[in-house]
Amino acid sequence: MLEPHQLALHTLTLRQLASAEQAAHINGLPEADVATALDRAVADGHAITARGSYMITPAGRSHLDGLYVDAFAAIRSDDEIGAAMESFEEGVNKQVLALTTEWQTVDVDGVPTPNDHSDSDRDAKILDRLGRVLEKTRKVLAPLATADPLLDRFADRLDAALTRAEGGETDHVSGVRVDSVHTVWFQMHEHVLRLTGRERPE
Amino acid sequence: MSTTTTRVAPRWTVVPDDPAVEPSKELVGGKAWSLWRMRSLGLPVPPAFVVTTEACRAYFAEGGLPAGLEGELVAGIRLLERELDRTFGGTERPLLVSVRSGAAVSMPGMMDTILDLGMNPDVEAALAAEAGDATFAAEVHRRFCGFYGRQVLGCTEELEDLPDTDAVRRAIADDVTEEIPADPWEQLRAAVGAVFASSRSRRAVAYRKHWGIRDDLGTAVTVQAMVFGNLDDSSGTGVLFTRSPVDGTREPYGEYLPRGQGEDVVSGRITPRPLTDLAERLPAVHDELLTAARRLDDEGRDAQDIEFTVQHGSLYLLQSRPAKRTARAAVRIARALVREGTLTPAEAVRRVNAEQAVSLLRPEIDGDAAAAATLLAAGAAASPGVATGVVVGTAEEAQRHPGSVLARHTTSPEDVQGMIAASAVITEVGGTTSHAAVVGRALDVPCVVGCGAGVVASLAGRTVTVDATSGRIYDGEIAVTAADECADDDLVELTAWADEFSPVRVLAADGEAACRLGPVFDGDTVDPEALGDGVPTIPPGATAVRGAVFQSADGARAALDAGVGTIVATRRLPVLLAAIAHHDAHGRTA
Repeated sequence: MLEPHQLALHTLTLRQLASAEQAAHINGLPEADVATALDRAVADGHAITARGSYMITPAGRSHLDGLYVDAFAAIRSDDEIGAAMESFEEGVNKQVLALTTEWQTVDVDGVPTPNDHSDSDRDAKILDRLGRVLEKTRKVLAPLATADPLLDRFADRLDAALTRAEGGETDHVSGVRVDSVHTVWFQMHEHVLRLTGRERPE
Repeated sequence: MSTTTTRVAPRWTVVPDDPAVEPSKELVGGKAWSLWRMRSLGLPVPPAFVVTTEACRAYFAEGGLPAGLEGELVAGIRLLERELDRTFGGTERPLLVSVRSGAAVSMPGMMDTILDLGMNPDVEAALAAEAGDATFAAEVHRRFCGFYGRQVLGCTEELEDLPDTDAVRRAIADDVTEEIPADPWEQLRAAVGAVFASSRSRRAVAYRKHWGIRDDLGTAVTVQAMVFGNLDDSSGTGVLFTRSPVDGTREPYGEYLPRGQGEDVVSGRITPRPLTDLAERLPAVHDELLTAARRLDDEGRDAQDIEFTVQHGSLYLLQSRPAKRTARAAVRIARALVREGTLTPAEAVRRVNAEQAVSLLRPEIDGDAAAAATLLAAGAAASPGVATGVVVGTAEEAQRHPGSVLARHTTSPEDVQGMIAASAVITEVGGTTSHAAVVGRALDVPCVVGCGAGVVASLAGRTVTVDATSGRIYDGEIAVTAADECADDDLVELTAWADEFSPVRVLAADGEAACRLGPVFDGDTVDPEALGDGVPTIPPGATAVRGAVFQSADGARAALDAGVGTIVATRRLPVLLAAIAHHDAHGRTA
């Protein structure tokens, strides 16, 4: 696994331009430790910083690729995890993206139209299906969650986003500027791709 | 007569069919209350009874269905049987029911709906004989097994897409130990218990905890007769819009499928006919339907989307809800409802949202200019709009040169800042449900996906026009046409109302008033690299703002929260509507 300071740098691949607080929210490390680690990454040329936000550099990316080989060797050679990722990509990942798309767009007589959220039954049905897919995701990724505790944190953040959407905060399904289901899913997807060394299919 | 039977008032169930007796929503839930409302308006809905929230509380107190409920379930079913002349579990004219949860307030995470309950092999044979259609009866059985397996037995496998009943039963057996009982009464008792239990599911509990809702409200269970549209030539199913979903005109519009059943509408098994087909076949039913539609439009104070079924020549309304609509129809319907005296202008401006106004005012590519232009690439249209810019291949470049067209093989979270700064996004691989597509739509950035390998390299550095409505990328800059919010009657009136109810003044960027303003904070002058995915910090004391970011819904909300009094915008209506919505949701104290 990655050392905490390495995990701090890795977090910058899950969210570009993150403050130490924002990165800590993703990786679950104490904020002060994340700030120390990222300042050190800046000194090493692995990241740059401006106005309190950090961004990874190409040198930082190659550095991580080198670290992954050893850190994730066990994960990458585990057949059960390989099968779990196959199921993740083909199953729940496609379902979550299809459901977020359905959430955003309503077909009106063949015309794709932005969802105005006036039909609360339709919204509720999509959220219900999304909830089931999120529960299933915990099952599907269980082998990976055993190897990497960060998976549970992603799952909890997904549940929290869904709960807010269920309460009427409609931007918490696919909004970009909030910790929406899609924002967290996109980060988790990138994280597990990096863990397992797989190519992003689309 | 009391000499033959002693009628005891039911303790756990309610039959919501007396127009004079409004049931308590707390007791019967919102869905059953709506059924009562429809019945009390004289509208035909399939008969139903409700197991109350009190029975739910007793279920948890006693650790099972409370004493006496079993008998009341029988009495409730007998009522549905009498009204429709059918028999639950019968081998002739069988009765099937739907079982739904329903709380007084919306409560996510609960079991939703089980359709076609009361099904087993004998009932399937009876239904096949009655409809003269064995395929239909087998399909009803298969669907029932899917609903029951997932919602009552807790099977987590996807069961909807399996080919037949045997496949569904096998998938259930592989996942859970219990089986689907053949006895319809046992199915019904288990389904009622499963609805109750689901009100304490992990997600339902999490929802109530987060939103501070009491934990002991429980849920009611509505049991309603299923009706079928494929039993004979005087049966069918259809959908009716009280106003056109495309342009908003008040004219009934819809489809009818003679001898069709619910799922046929989507499956394409039967070709839908216009509503005039129903008028020709069953004129009395057609008249009754149109009368009901007018009633529902008036009562709902909005355009309705009504699902109906005709069974043996009797009309049943299955559902009525606010109709989906295009942005154009949303504006026209809101204005028409004010003219008809149904809505006040203050209500009308809350019927159209900022996103709809944006999409209505979105520029479109000029058809003649596009026909004459050179097509460079094409893919799937994922987020509509048109933009012209220089193509860049990395998110960093897009951030350094705002307004560029960002081209990527695929997108990762590291591309999000670049997508925010870009005027359009194109990808080489991926479909309309890829991450790039989802983010593009969320940002309202024009986006074309799946343009093919090599597009990033071949287009980098070129000026292109992305038409993300058709999914085409053209060489050079191409002319666009846009709706003018000052030239369209519907938009002019809606904007005038929005001005009246907006918590903030919104001035046209090219107008005189905007030129006379004192100091204005311009969001476009903030370095995009420093901005990230946030909204720029508005300097304390600033009373007016301008710039592209404040024309997005997020930006308008941030300006309002910062206490800004004036926003300068190129298109005013979307900003006004975003401000009103934000004020309604959060700003009452401001």
